[in-house]
Formats: sequence, C-alpha cells, structure tokens
Amino acid sequence: MNWKIPAALLVVALAYPLVFRGNFAINFGVLVLFFALIGQAWNIAGGFGGQLSFGHAVFFGTGAYCSTILQLKLGWSPWSGLAASAGAGALVGALIAALSFRFGLRGSYFALITLAFAEAFRILTNALEFTGGGVGLLLPLKRSALNFQFAERIGFYYTILALTAISIGIAIWLQRSRFGARLAAIRENEDAARALGIDTFREKVKVMALSGALCALGGTFYAQYYLYIDPAVVFGVDKSVEMLLVSMIGGTGTVYGPLIGSLLLTLVGEYTRAITDAQGLSLIIYGSLLILIIGFLPNGLVDLFKLRWRRKARA
Amino acid sequence: MPSRKSRFTRRKFIGATAAASVAFGVPTLLRAQARPIKVGLVHPITGFLAYSGGQSRMGAMMAIDEINAGGGIKSMGGAKLEALLGDNQAKPEVGVSVVEQMQEAGVSAYIGCFSSAVALPATQAAAKYNTPFVIDVGASDNIVNRGLKNVFRLKPGFNASVDDGILGLGEINKAAGNPAKSAVLVHEESEFGTGTAKLLAAKLPSIGIEVKEVMKHANPTRDFANLALRIRGLKPDLVIMSNYQNEYVLLARTLHQQKVDLVSMFSVLGGGFNYKFVKELPDVAQYMIDTNHWFDPTNPRAQAMKKRVEAKGDLFTFEVYLSYNAVKFLADGMERAGSADKEKVNAALAASTWSDHFMPYGPTRMVNGQNTGGKASIQQASRTDIEVIWPAKFASAKPVFPKPKFS
Repeated sequence: MNWKIPAALLVVALAYPLVFRGNFAINFGVLVLFFALIGQAWNIAGGFGGQLSFGHAVFFGTGAYCSTILQLKLGWSPWSGLAASAGAGALVGALIAALSFRFGLRGSYFALITLAFAEAFRILTNALEFTGGGVGLLLPLKRSALNFQFAERIGFYYTILALTAISIGIAIWLQRSRFGARLAAIRENEDAARALGIDTFREKVKVMALSGALCALGGTFYAQYYLYIDPAVVFGVDKSVEMLLVSMIGGTGTVYGPLIGSLLLTLVGEYTRAITDAQGLSLIIYGSLLILIIGFLPNGLVDLFKLRWRRKARA
Repeated sequence: MPSRKSRFTRRKFIGATAAASVAFGVPTLLRAQARPIKVGLVHPITGFLAYSGGQSRMGAMMAIDEINAGGGIKSMGGAKLEALLGDNQAKPEVGVSVVEQMQEAGVSAYIGCFSSAVALPATQAAAKYNTPFVIDVGASDNIVNRGLKNVFRLKPGFNASVDDGILGLGEINKAAGNPAKSAVLVHEESEFGTGTAKLLAAKLPSIGIEVKEVMKHANPTRDFANLALRIRGLKPDLVIMSNYQNEYVLLARTLHQQKVDLVSMFSVLGGGFNYKFVKELPDVAQYMIDTNHWFDPTNPRAQAMKKRVEAKGDLFTFEVYLSYNAVKFLADGMERAGSADKEKVNAALAASTWSDHFMPYGPTRMVNGQNTGGKASIQQASRTDIEVIWPAKFASAKPVFPKPKFS
C-alpha cells in the first residue's frame, strides 16, 4: 500500500482553508468534500459491492431527519445525533438489503427497489406530523461548536474533512481486507462467490449497512450546515443522482474516484455558473462535459491517472 | 537634416497632448463618479421554478434600470446600482454558494430567492456578513422569524396572506348571503402549500365554512382526474387551492372539464392565477378567485409598468412587480442611509416608512423584518382580464359570487 497518496491528499486538504481563506473558497471545499463523502458512501455499495442503487437518498434523508428530530423533539446534542444517524442509516440499509436480497433482487431490479424505498420515505415524511410534513424542519440558529453550528465555515470544513477521510479510509480498508475481497468476488460473479462458500446474503447486507451509515452521516452534516430540511430536498431523486454521478464520473470501485468526481463536478458546476448569466447555459456546458467524460473515459477520471502512471512505469 | 522618423511635427504634438490629457484626465473623471453599488439577484433561473425566477429577475432589472436612469442613489453622489445575476437552481446548496460568490464580488445587498427552502439558508449565509437581504418572493414566515437583522420582506407572508384571504372571503360570502358553507382544500406537498393549507383549515371555521377534507398532491402531478372525482363526491361549496403554476392550472382545468359545480374556486397564493392562465384558458379561468400579492389597479404607475412589460411580449405576473418593488424598497433604504454601509442600510430598512410603491399597501412598517403594512388582495378572473374585488378601496370590479352553474 502506497501511503504517500492519502498522506499528501490529507496535507493538501488540511492546508486548503489556510491558503484560500475566503468563505466562497471554503464553501467550495465543503461542497467538494460533502459530495465526495456521499459519493463514497454510494461507491462502497455500488462500486466495491456491485450493488447499484438509484435511491441512496433514502439513507441521506434518514440521517438528516434522525439527527434533526432527536435535536428538536428530544433535545439531543447534534453530535450525539450524528452517531445516532449513522446507526439509523445502517439499520435502514440493512433492512432494505435484507428485504431485497431475501427475495433474490439483483442488478437493475435492486436499483429500482432502492429508488422505490427513497420515494416511499419521501412520501412518508411528507405525510407524518412529527417529521414536519411538507413544511420540513428548521433548526434554530444557535452558533456554537458544541451545537454543530460553527460561527465560521472553517469549522464545517474540518468536520466534513474528517468524515470524508473516514469514508476514504474505509474504502482503502475494503481494498485490503478479506471483507473487501469477498465483496469483489460477489461483484464479479455472485454465483461463483457463493460456490466458493461466501455467504453472499450476509456480505451484501453488511455492505449496504456500511454504505447507509456513511450516507446518513452526510445527511446530518447537510442538516447542520443548511439548518433546514424538507422531504423533497433530502429524499429527492436529485440527491441519489448526485452521489451516483460523482462516483461514476470519478471511477466506481476505486478509492479516490468519488473525490476526483466530486472535485470536477463541483468545480464545473460553480465555474460554469460564474462565467455565464445566460439562462441554462451553465447546465448545457455541465451536461456536455458529462457526456464527453462518459464517452471517452467510461471507467471514470481515475483512468486518466492510471494512463499516466502506466506511461511513467514504461518510461 | 533630421530623419523623418525623429521629427516632432505639430500634428504629433497635438496628438501627444490629447493623449496626455486623456491619460491624466480620465482617472479624475472616474474618481468623480460614485462607485456602483452591487445588488445580488438570487433567483431560480433554471430548474422547475425557472419561469418564476426569470420573471423575478426581469422585475428587479426593470427597477434597477429605472433607478439608474433617474440618476442612481442621489445621497451617494448618484451611485448606480449594478446587478450581479445568480441562479440558485431552486437548490439550497446552490443558493448558499451564489450568496458566497457574490459576497466575494463585493455585493452590498441581495434580492431573492422565490423558494423559501432556498431563502432560509441563503439569508443565513448573508447574515454572517450582515448584508441586507430583501425577500421579494418567498412565503414562509420562518424566513423572517429567526431574528436575523439583515432580512426584510415587503410582501405579507403565509399567515398574513391567509388572514387577509379569510377576512376577504368572509366578507364576500356574507355580502352574497352566505352561499358557501363547506370547502375542500387542495394543496401541493412542500412548505408553501402545506403551511398555507394548515392555516386555512384552522381558520375557515371562524367564518362559518366547514372543511370537508384536506387533499395533498405531489410536485409534479400530471393527472388530477381521481382527485376531481373525490371532490365531486364530497360536494363542497368551495375548492380552495394552494399550489404552484402547473398543478394549479391542471386542477382547475380538470374540475372544469368534469363540470364540478361549485359556489366558487378560491385560492390563497395560487401559483397559476395570472394573465397567462386567463389568456390561454379563459373558460377555465373565468370566475376563479385568488388571494395574492397584486398591484393596485388604481395606480397609474402600475398600469404603465404593466403596459411596458406586455409590450415586450411578457406577462405582468406577481413575481415581476414584487421583485420590482423589492429593489425600489432597497434603493429607498440606501438613499436614506446615504451609504452602502451594511449596518446603516439595515437600520434604514428597519425604520422604513416607504410608500412610493404601487402595491395595495400603506407605508412600510417593519417588525422583525416583516412589513406589517403589507396586505394581500383578492382577485377574480373574467374571460379577458383579472380584476381586484377586495378590499373595496382598491377594487376594480364587483365579485361574481356564487359563480354560474354549469347546468
């Protein structure tokens, strides 16, 4: 294992807000890390485990609502809420996986069932009184680090950096661990994996729980950063697509794919919006770039780095 | 004999003198001109609220152009307003990003955001810099209820609009001999529709109208046939809607197609009640009633602006004049503050008694950032136009209530 890459990335990430001190730059850094976190959550199930999901927003929303409700209704600290939301995300992940895999759903059928679950959760939170219904939930403004509401954006930056670093650490561990190897076997050929004695059901439930927990952490972070959530915002299809997209663009099943994808997509999103006021032009540029990347780098941007490394090795 | 190249001719002397005058003189002129004041417009220009966001931007730009043409902010040496255009895409995270981006560009104030879900985090982000934020459209009362000193809203929010709607409906119903005794509420599922319907359900009994059922629908909804059948079965006197443009029009059209007889179709902040609706579906729109932010039809300036907008081939929707008046309100605050200093502008806006608008409001009176002098009015569509029917002071026509039956 080459520890130089993660160590260098960590140093760069730690130094970033000290070099770029403006709030816009720090907010940009927060967004990159936030999408990298939820993208990595998706990548752990979809990339490493081969369990493609169209509805990861179900975990994201669960995390956001769990910590917010615990805070508003039971007076919990949002930091305890963060831990609880990871538990809730894991539980929902395990439950959806157990229900789906118990009935042999695989591939696109599993992807569709996750989408259905996300929609069901959105409709439920819309209908229930204690989730605030369609009105959503607003967290009171109380700036304090203890309250997970930092007075300066830099506090949020280092928090999301820590969460993203954990998610990347988990991805590195998956690449090296027996659990990761079992997941790779399932991803490549589930029947063959079963024939080798792997309990595929258990492994798939475990990876979905892990993915759900990480995604829920992203949900809590979102709720604390913006202080307002509603069903459409946190359970909407948009969120599922965003986390899927950063992974796919960066490279699924790779450790740094979601981070690279998130960096590029956030950069393109922010930059195209900044350079043009023409209605919708930024989205056209954004969409065109996506088509180009998918067309020429089907395995994601990670391929670019691999090509360079190979050329270097040959030289 | 000196070479031709090095000769300093009279022509060259004049040219050099002119160039030197320009080089030294222009900066002096520039120094004399006041620096422009940057105003950030944070609207959804793409996404499912793109039309409304575009309308808001148009209204705000018209006000900015008008102010600049009139000599800018006079107390600041005629400083011009410069619009910074932002697209919040109706997404909270994008809204915050736009606010931060504009902050770095040196924005002095914001106008936005149409969607309450975007306005809540965006105003919060602006509050860190104490930058004035005038809400042009955005109905949630939470936007102004959180104690942020930099947030102001000229138009009434949910609560006030519902109160005005209930008061007006009660008076119209009473004047007609109380033909409406029951209602079904239909609302969209987000904060706007849910919040409005909740308030309506609690307050309608106070004017003698029983709520038979509250129905929620998703955004978007493409078919209201079943919902219309349920309404027909319940036989309410009124159907009261709170939804966005597309669903508002679709539900109205479905009820019309199914010939559901009602005393009236009423709405509070009905997203689709506008000139486009009347123009495209006059039979459906006729007799529909809406409580909303409307201009004062008796004000010649409002009528003149309506003509200007329509001359461009656009519609004079509520977003246009709410954003227009929001910019004018901000400019008045800056004029009185005599500076773009955020503290001073916030103080001037908080103490505002501005009345140079063309809304059916009195002078502004800000309480915790909410203009309590604002008032919603009630409108009714005819086959060709929209008339104000309540309050009587601003009315341009008498209400048709109950509306004629299909049979």
